[in-house]
Amino acid sequence: MKKDPLQLTQTVLAIGFMAGLVAIFFWVPTEAFQGVSQRIVYLHAPSAWVAYLAFGVVLVCSVAYLKTSESRWDWVAHASAKVGVLFTATTLITGAMWGKPIWGAFWAWDPRLTLTLVLFLIYLGYLAFRANAGDENRGARIGAVIGIAGFMVVPLVHFSVDWWRGQHPSRTVVRPEASAALPQEMLIVLLGMFAVFTLLYLVLLALGVRVLKLEDEVMELEATFLENAVITPHITG
Amino acid sequence: MRTILALAAKDLRGESRAKQIAPVMVVFALTLVFLLTFALPPGALRAPVPLPKAGAISAREITGLLLWTSIFFAAVIGFGRSAAADREGSAGDGLLLAPVDPAALYAGKLIGNLAFLLATELVAIPLFMLFANIAPGSLLPGILPVMLVASLGMAAVGTLFGAATQYAEARSLMLPLLAFPLSLPVILGASKLTSTLLIENRFGSEARWFILMAVFDVVFLTLGAVTFEFVIEE
Repeated sequence: MKKDPLQLTQTVLAIGFMAGLVAIFFWVPTEAFQGVSQRIVYLHAPSAWVAYLAFGVVLVCSVAYLKTSESRWDWVAHASAKVGVLFTATTLITGAMWGKPIWGAFWAWDPRLTLTLVLFLIYLGYLAFRANAGDENRGARIGAVIGIAGFMVVPLVHFSVDWWRGQHPSRTVVRPEASAALPQEMLIVLLGMFAVFTLLYLVLLALGVRVLKLEDEVMELEATFLENAVITPHITG
Repeated sequence: MRTILALAAKDLRGESRAKQIAPVMVVFALTLVFLLTFALPPGALRAPVPLPKAGAISAREITGLLLWTSIFFAAVIGFGRSAAADREGSAGDGLLLAPVDPAALYAGKLIGNLAFLLATELVAIPLFMLFANIAPGSLLPGILPVMLVASLGMAAVGTLFGAATQYAEARSLMLPLLAFPLSLPVILGASKLTSTLLIENRFGSEARWFILMAVFDVVFLTLGAVTFEFVIEE
């Protein structure tokens, strides 16, 4: 039996993820101010990175699809949007879980949070449209337009949610942004998780593309079958 | 340019006969405006604002959002209607066959939609000020540029996605679902500018929203003009 390269990648991914979890729970030192809840950052930050990466891929592939009309670009864009929505949800959920003990609330109207939520809504709209597009080709073309518009509006939404609050910053907790101050273990695990999540994204993307491609083939087969069924009617008597 | 104007004239003429878009938009906006201003305590928008306690929000601060969400919802209904009219009357098919640049089709449609929206605002905003007890002087003339810049952005998004959702299932749901998050910068911008005008009688440093909204308008007008052909193609 032929070895599927995707299967090998999945094995690597599974090992990497397990190692990452072990490191997060047992190896990394506990952050002094936030305690154990800070450990969720190792899942939260990579999720956010993958979400933005995925939507960036939607943009690039949408442009490529409109330029070339080759279905494979649309498959990648569509699959990437699905994975992106999944990881945006993970980002929002892990963020809320961290926010409750640290900010005292599951949700704060922090500009970055708000932007992520708006992106979530935009790409949910993308997926909802794709599910209801009716005609496949039209759906792919219009989906590409939504994919481009969704990403182009990001900087504008960023400024508008940032300015909306004016001079009342809602964020008071300093985030561990200065990587120089991070203990080495933290940095290693964080970078490791970024790598693992990127790999996870690629695997999910590949699987998603495969599903869309198969769906396309099934539809073509059905269409051929129906054509033949009409051409050779069943005659009795 | 003549093509664009002819296309816009087609929409406006159709509307002047059928009257099925602008009146509905106006009535819908009014219903929302009435409901939302009704919810405010009497005189909440007229009284001098006491210095708010930390965290408190004065009614004036949310006035802009009340007004512009109402207008936005009315706008989406109108844009959906105007796109549906092309599909139902098969005018869209005819236009596709005509040797016209898709960008011109987009521009023509956009001008029609913009006209409907501005007409709606010209009725809804004065009535909003009447219901909410806002003196005309406190919003005029500053609200006029806000109307123009915000409406252009809303129409740019609504015209593109109005046409885009026409052949989808559940199209009346799809248009607001897509248009709302994408239009967020203009809704927030118009709201902030209107509230600031009401509170301070000038835009002050919030005038930066004009730049943001103008950039939004340019981005979506360009996107619409470039991608409209993919949206309407059979």
